[in-house]
Amino acid sequence: MIDPLYIWLTPYLAAGIMAITWVMGIRKESFYSWLSVLSILVSAIIATILTPKVYHGDIIYTVHSWMPDIGVNVGTYMDGLGAFMSLVVAWLSFLIAVYSTKYMEGDWGFQRYFFFFTFFVGSMLLLVLADNLVLLFIGWEGTGLASYALIGHWYTDDEDTWVGDPGRKALGTNMYFEPSHSGVRAILFTKIGDIGMLIGMAGIFALTGTLSIPQISNLASQSDGWMATLANMKILTAFLVVFSLGALAKSAQFPFQEWLVTAMTGPTPVSALIHAATMVKAGVYFMLRFAPIFAVGAANLGGAVLDAVTSYFWIIALLGGITAFMMATMAIVSRELKLILAFSTASQLGYMFLGVGAAGYLLKGAEAGTSNTLSLVYEGIAASASHLMSHAVFKAALFLIAGWAIHAVHSRFIDDMGNFAKYMKISMISMWLAGLSLAGIPPFSGFWSKEGVLHTAHLAGLENLWLLGVITAGITAFYITRATVRVFHIKPYHRHEEEHHLHEAPLTMLLPYFILALTALVIGLAWPLGFSEKVAELLGHTLAMPSAELPSVEFTGITLEIVGYALLMVLFAIVLYLAFKPDFVGLLQKSTTARILHDFLYDRWYINALIYIFIVGGFAGLVEIMGWINGVIDAFYHVAIPVVLIAGSQAFRGLHRGRTDLYLTFYAYFIGVALLVLYFLWG
Amino acid sequence: MVVLDTSLLWLSVLLPVIISILGVRSEKYETLASIIAALLLFPLVIVAVAAIKGSLSSGIVDPAYTTINGIGTLAFALDGLSALVVAGISVVTAFVAFYSLPYMKTRIEEMRTEGEEPPSLGVYYLLYTLFAVAMVGLVYSTNLILFYLFLELTLIPSFLLIAYYGYGDRKRIAMLYFVWTHLGAVVFLAGALYYGYIAGNFDYLNIDTLSPVGNAASILGNMTTLIAALMTFGLFVKMAVLGVHMWLPYAHAEAPTPISALLSPNLIGLAGYAMARITVPLFPDFYTANQWFFIYLAFATIIYGGLVALKQTDFKRFLAYSSVSQMGYMLLGIATLTSLGITGAMLHYLAHAVGKAVLFMTAGVFITDLHGFRDITRMGGLARKYPMTAALALVGFMHLVGMPPTVGMWSEIFIILGLFRAIDISAQFILITLLLIVALGISASYAFINMRRIFYGKPRSDTAERAKPESVGILQWSMLAIAFFGFLFFLWITPYYDSLLTAASKIVQILQTVMG
Repeated sequence: MIDPLYIWLTPYLAAGIMAITWVMGIRKESFYSWLSVLSILVSAIIATILTPKVYHGDIIYTVHSWMPDIGVNVGTYMDGLGAFMSLVVAWLSFLIAVYSTKYMEGDWGFQRYFFFFTFFVGSMLLLVLADNLVLLFIGWEGTGLASYALIGHWYTDDEDTWVGDPGRKALGTNMYFEPSHSGVRAILFTKIGDIGMLIGMAGIFALTGTLSIPQISNLASQSDGWMATLANMKILTAFLVVFSLGALAKSAQFPFQEWLVTAMTGPTPVSALIHAATMVKAGVYFMLRFAPIFAVGAANLGGAVLDAVTSYFWIIALLGGITAFMMATMAIVSRELKLILAFSTASQLGYMFLGVGAAGYLLKGAEAGTSNTLSLVYEGIAASASHLMSHAVFKAALFLIAGWAIHAVHSRFIDDMGNFAKYMKISMISMWLAGLSLAGIPPFSGFWSKEGVLHTAHLAGLENLWLLGVITAGITAFYITRATVRVFHIKPYHRHEEEHHLHEAPLTMLLPYFILALTALVIGLAWPLGFSEKVAELLGHTLAMPSAELPSVEFTGITLEIVGYALLMVLFAIVLYLAFKPDFVGLLQKSTTARILHDFLYDRWYINALIYIFIVGGFAGLVEIMGWINGVIDAFYHVAIPVVLIAGSQAFRGLHRGRTDLYLTFYAYFIGVALLVLYFLWG
Repeated sequence: MVVLDTSLLWLSVLLPVIISILGVRSEKYETLASIIAALLLFPLVIVAVAAIKGSLSSGIVDPAYTTINGIGTLAFALDGLSALVVAGISVVTAFVAFYSLPYMKTRIEEMRTEGEEPPSLGVYYLLYTLFAVAMVGLVYSTNLILFYLFLELTLIPSFLLIAYYGYGDRKRIAMLYFVWTHLGAVVFLAGALYYGYIAGNFDYLNIDTLSPVGNAASILGNMTTLIAALMTFGLFVKMAVLGVHMWLPYAHAEAPTPISALLSPNLIGLAGYAMARITVPLFPDFYTANQWFFIYLAFATIIYGGLVALKQTDFKRFLAYSSVSQMGYMLLGIATLTSLGITGAMLHYLAHAVGKAVLFMTAGVFITDLHGFRDITRMGGLARKYPMTAALALVGFMHLVGMPPTVGMWSEIFIILGLFRAIDISAQFILITLLLIVALGISASYAFINMRRIFYGKPRSDTAERAKPESVGILQWSMLAIAFFGFLFFLWITPYYDSLLTAASKIVQILQTVMG
């Protein structure tokens, strides 16, 4: 049997070779692109070969010794979740790598692009297969580094690579972002979360002495284990939130969502792979990996642990629900195709967090040691996982289409796009397939998985969050239809289509997104025919999650209403833009209310501005204060002390002028003092 | 403990000096630099061989040692605690010796055109080698007298190097550097002499077991606190901890860049090493009693240094303040008083040595190629012209921020693991979490914000705009070599880590008797 290690090691080795050849001065484009594509293909094939074994119940676990004293080894842990994730990651990466070979052709950073792309794939696969927290952290930071480098890929900051309307300000803060700025934002926002993750690691290690995830899982349920200890200290909820900060930041959940929006300065395939299909899912993966562990611990221990853990899950569900809704509203008014998709990504990730949070929240009020509730928890977690998969597929397709659309008109604004349906039929079909999946229309894959998440929220009794999720579903249907109709079916607002020689995408770009869009449909069709059971079966061989089912979706009552509502929103958007052709620009000029609402959404609820004013501004103020204090310290040592010493030296110099009478006087005086001292000491 | 058959440790210190004395009048600078660089790499080879053979845990001792009554045993030794420090010095000094070749040629020429007569490159290499081996000797030492001799020996050549070849008001800055750090050294010496006077010898390592001589409180009685405070304060000045960091920004910014690349990453960290090696095991009561003061001081140093670094516009001055901040991490690791934390601190020495050396060398590339170009506000977009330098600078910053695949990740993890062993999680979890987020967040901020200011965006001056594409040469290759070791130590940490943890736990054992 092949060591699953090679799933993540192959892309790393390829990236290493690229680094060496780059240093040696080799710049041949096809060498880099094919090495990348091939290494990822090898990973995908190995993952595919190994998955059936996991599916039939064997967890594949290989360990190579590294630092055994602290439970840190090169351990590859391929359980249900690991296999599931590596399949999704490796195959998507492969398709997007193929797309990139064409998309990046002739780019001045071609070699750098494929180096970081491949390095990213290795890191992402390591992340999902790591058996201990340090290895997971290495993969985690590796994806962060690649993301930083690729967001800032066009670091010369030419205006066509920006995000946002040049010159726009909100509350005095610039609302346009150059690639180099976006890169810094991405790495700093996520770094804050990563520190939380490190702290969580350190806390667990301080209590257990190990960093191995299976061991941490085993110790979670013990009555003197780390969860019980932390619950006794009354900090379990806070601890788990801090531990999950990395996941929240990586997956752009409120209040960390801002970095993902501006990450769109990167080349579009990067947005598709890193900022839609995989890296931003790392946070979700982290939740999927640890939620069962926390839940099992809570279910076994009950009492204070259970209360703390359900509070924690409630916070996760809440943040997910808020993010889902908030980001969807922003997508309604956005004028940039990739931004619409970015808002949508954060929003959909919110659904996944809502699903995991709700699943854990099901435990609330359960008796210690109950297994019935646990199986419901597993069901909710599996629902989130399935949404991760379906979202990865359709969102990658949407981004890849967007890449071609932007390339076709040399503009990121949808105002410049229109009537594409005339020139690119297959792209149009792909867009509708993937878009309807995002909109949650049956039988597309997005429908089933989103329904599973909403079902879990409903079951957990989180009515308000459920309602928020339902409303968001309608908004989602509207904004994606709006984007599709405006790009493909009506005339562009600004330019005329004749300005560009529009035509269908070349095959190397067309095929990947057509395959993905078709997959969204095929998965959706196969879903009720046994595919969902297969996914659940695989996920049911996961650490701390020995069985799983996916929520069964029945077309009755509330489900039917949600579907009807989503369909209505799709139709509404179609009719609105095709038949009524409303003059929104004119409306904004006339109505103040409309303008206030528009600006609120367009400027992203002013959250970016507030972060810049308070947090960035606060630190900038601190920098000034510290700079001033530094000046004072410097002046103390290099002005005050020398001045005092010079003055003192001059004063003493005054006493030494070679006058014998003066010396004699001093001599007599001090002899007198000495005698007096002696007298008082012995007298 | 293993006593070596041949005097390898002494040879690794003396040979480079002999060669550089012989070569001081030679004009074949390429040959001279190559030989010196090869010899300076010798300590690393010793460390690596010892690690592979597994003799680091018990430690190795040079056969040439002598015991003098009233002084103690003057010996050279190498063990887990010192191995990575020696490795850090060896890697940096060896490749910076190569780097110096083009850099100092340019510098000396530049000074000549300004009408000055700096000493020749041969003199430079003599002083450079003395400085480098003095640091290695200091780490090998097992006795306070030997330690102090080497400490002074690091000061004199580095002082002369700044005075001869530095920038700006270099004579004044050299004097300033000398006076302040010497003051620190003398305060340390006062404590050390007092200690030796009472104890009857100056040993801090037991030569037979290579373990610390143990708690000095029983010998020193009520003088313990005073002596501990004197020695610690002296080391704080050398380490440039917040409050006594005043000398560092001047010296590190205005020294010739290869010397900055030795001063900043190598020299100041040695004070941290000395704390773990000498003062913590000698004065466990002092350190446990003041543990929280040291932890807060460490955080204050990290945050203060980082924030002031963000304000700097001069590339080298920015790096200097970043060094102040990074020393805070070393102090933090030591102040945890746990074996994990001390392990982290020593790993941080190595990580900072590699990372900061590469960054100073980056600054040096622009100073050499673009005629003293070091104003960050006028940079921007340099990655387009200098892709290799930019990539290496990114690796340098990753060491400081603790990102894999650099050894910086290990130091960050170990320091934090140690910190959480040291604190009372139930009461201090939130406080320490917030402090860490602010501290590490600021470090990441100054790293990536300045990466952007220097390398990305549009050029902000004619100099940056018109820069010719880099011609990859000795400057970049030596940076690459140093950076590569940062990656190598990331992967191949196990043999060092085991013996380091062993050595650190010897120190912690002494602490535990005090903490109960």
